[in-house]
Amino acid sequence: MKKTAVSISALLMAFSVVVSGCGGNNNSSNSANNGGNKQEASATAAPATPSTEPVTLNAWVMPNSPKPDADFLKTLDPYLKEHPNVTMKVTVLDWGSAWTKITTAATSGEGPDLLQLGSTWVPAIASMGGIDKITDKVADVGGAEAFLPAIWTTTSIAGDSEVYGVPWFVDARAIYYRTDVFKQAGVDTATAFKDWDSFKSALQAVNGQTVDGKKIAALGLPGKNDWNVVHNIFPWIWAAGGDVLSADNKDVAFNDDKGLDGVMYYTGLAAEGLVDKASLEKNSSQIESDFGDGKSAVIISGPWLAKNFATPKANGGMDDKKAAKNFAVAPLPAGPGGQATFVGGSELTVFSGSKNKEATWDVIKYLTSDEAQKAYAAVSGQLPARLSLLESPDLDANMKAFSEATKYGRTYPSIPQWGPTETALQKHFANVWDIVAGVKGKYSKESVKEELDSAAAEVKAIINQ
Amino acid sequence: MGLHTEKNLPVKAAPSKSAVWRKRVRDNKFAYMLMVPTIIFMLLVHLLPMIQGFWMSFLKLNQFTLGKYLKAPFVGMDNYIGLLFNSDNPVRQGLNFAIRNTVIYSVIVTIGVMIMGLMMALLMNRDFPGRSIARTAMLLPWVVPSYVVGVLWGFMWQQNGIINYFLVDVLHLFDEKPFWLLGPNTIWAIIIPTIWRGWPFLMVIFLAGLQTIPEDIYEAATIDGAGKLRQFWNMTLPMLKPVIAVQLLFQIINNVYSYNIVSTMFGNGAGYPGEWGDLLMTALTRQSFGYWSFGSGSAASIMLMFAMLMVVGVWYRAFRSELNAQ
Repeated sequence: MKKTAVSISALLMAFSVVVSGCGGNNNSSNSANNGGNKQEASATAAPATPSTEPVTLNAWVMPNSPKPDADFLKTLDPYLKEHPNVTMKVTVLDWGSAWTKITTAATSGEGPDLLQLGSTWVPAIASMGGIDKITDKVADVGGAEAFLPAIWTTTSIAGDSEVYGVPWFVDARAIYYRTDVFKQAGVDTATAFKDWDSFKSALQAVNGQTVDGKKIAALGLPGKNDWNVVHNIFPWIWAAGGDVLSADNKDVAFNDDKGLDGVMYYTGLAAEGLVDKASLEKNSSQIESDFGDGKSAVIISGPWLAKNFATPKANGGMDDKKAAKNFAVAPLPAGPGGQATFVGGSELTVFSGSKNKEATWDVIKYLTSDEAQKAYAAVSGQLPARLSLLESPDLDANMKAFSEATKYGRTYPSIPQWGPTETALQKHFANVWDIVAGVKGKYSKESVKEELDSAAAEVKAIINQ
Repeated sequence: MGLHTEKNLPVKAAPSKSAVWRKRVRDNKFAYMLMVPTIIFMLLVHLLPMIQGFWMSFLKLNQFTLGKYLKAPFVGMDNYIGLLFNSDNPVRQGLNFAIRNTVIYSVIVTIGVMIMGLMMALLMNRDFPGRSIARTAMLLPWVVPSYVVGVLWGFMWQQNGIINYFLVDVLHLFDEKPFWLLGPNTIWAIIIPTIWRGWPFLMVIFLAGLQTIPEDIYEAATIDGAGKLRQFWNMTLPMLKPVIAVQLLFQIINNVYSYNIVSTMFGNGAGYPGEWGDLLMTALTRQSFGYWSFGSGSAASIMLMFAMLMVVGVWYRAFRSELNAQ
């Protein structure tokens, strides 16, 4: 009996460890010291000739490509050959758990040297003091002018001029469509993706076309059980002329009339039967494989899918699918407020607790060079973040379409509270999909508006905390 | 698990409690010394984080104050008051759903696995050809990792998945295929796989319990004219009561703290399972790590801890005599 009591309390306490665990070994004096060291380091760094002392660097990266650690090291190989004194250790963090590990590292000061961060995470980790300011160093890599403007805005906190990261690669969303299906339906692809009206009539034309004896749905889109819920909806709000927050980031804008129009247009495509409702229960990768299997004629995805279609089946790709030989990429249609898409990506940062900041920065310089960006884009299927490469004439047709998309690409406000904001939006946008699916009240402008308003109330509280 | 010193106690003079303890320690000095490192370790590993979690529930602990951690602004009972009484508090609205779902989920799952486990244990306790193979086969669902269970059932529940195929195309139970991963049906989409995965464990435990019951009392009962059902109610069940008691508690705790199935079935922890799929653990994780409200996250988990202690108290009162019988 005592044993049971002990195990109960053990369970309860284990749970309290989980909740309190995020603090880890807090050592605020440690991070203060690090701050001091950093100042010294950057003061003595001016000559910028990295030493040849043997140094081991730890890098934390996320799975951006099929073999994350090998692909990262392969990209870095020329650098490591030239700098035999540098040893690189790579740890791959799963996207799902990365956030917790990084915030723990940021609070405890115990972490890697080189840290990959999703672009929306940079302001938050910077505000926690987890990563170094590199404002005076970014000129080494060409500064703001060398990178895609949309992604560069996420390297600092809105309203502050300090820079905390260098863009590493970019992800943009565009339309993938089945060229054979559009041809069969007699839809002109030159005009189909021009604006909202032409897009909707094109979808209506291809909806239910018979391909290989099976009816194809016009559009494949994931509903609520997906990690991209927020990224999927905002392009339509932007295209309607709406915005996430007000210009000063102090108020909420996405629930105004324009924002509502955007949400109604996008969810309307599903409500009007242009989407197989079963797809509302699926996540992005299931939607992508459905597209590969010929279940839908149009989906919205990122550059990785084109890479996936070009990869042999034996290596885990989808080159054997019919869609792989019959697809093309087009920009998202323009709404009343113009054209917009979501641009995300990742940045490279110097961790505050690092003891090898000079060597780390030197590696970052290499990884953001033309040579390394090109190599990494080739292995990962992501877009390079450097403008010179995005505008290069030797991009293939699909990548060119994505590069085009980045021009009207937008990002979320670069505020430290973006993390909780996105969590709140995820929750309420999930409820919107319940409404669309017909399991939570009746789908109408009023019911969607109500849900957006309750999202707005929550987000407002978060950004003004 | 009475200590063996008890039988050495003098019968006539009832010594004071402290005297008994002094004697115990003196007689078993070596044993107690062996326990000291464990006790210190347990205090470090269990008690300190618990105190820390308790302290955190009184702080305004968010991303801006997390760096200062235990020195974050003290807000007293604000986190608790917000969760209990502030109807504008979005966390509180979410918690209402999570509490309702967790109660439904843990009651149905606990009862479900206990009954399933007991029934299968009774079946497997009979002698029949191929019994050992059958027993091993029964364990299959339990061996599947809960992550895989979530992903697997996530596929099966989909609108054009295999479950709807059977319910609608084969059995014609519904006119059109229902959603299981959206809306109110979600609660069933998490309860059923949990029962499916959970009962084999109970079967093993009950089977072990059944085998400690001597065969001859059944023979005697049969001679006395007691039917199978009567034997079950008047002999098997009472004899299994201590086992049932411990498993009941274990299942309640396990199910109230359930996380994996929901998290893998709905967007790998990133998604919102909805008003009928969210459980306390997924809600609290979102609360603490998604909204970065570590303070009110701790407050909510401390409240949950006390709620669980009350459940344990009720449980102990109900089963005290059985548990102390040995």
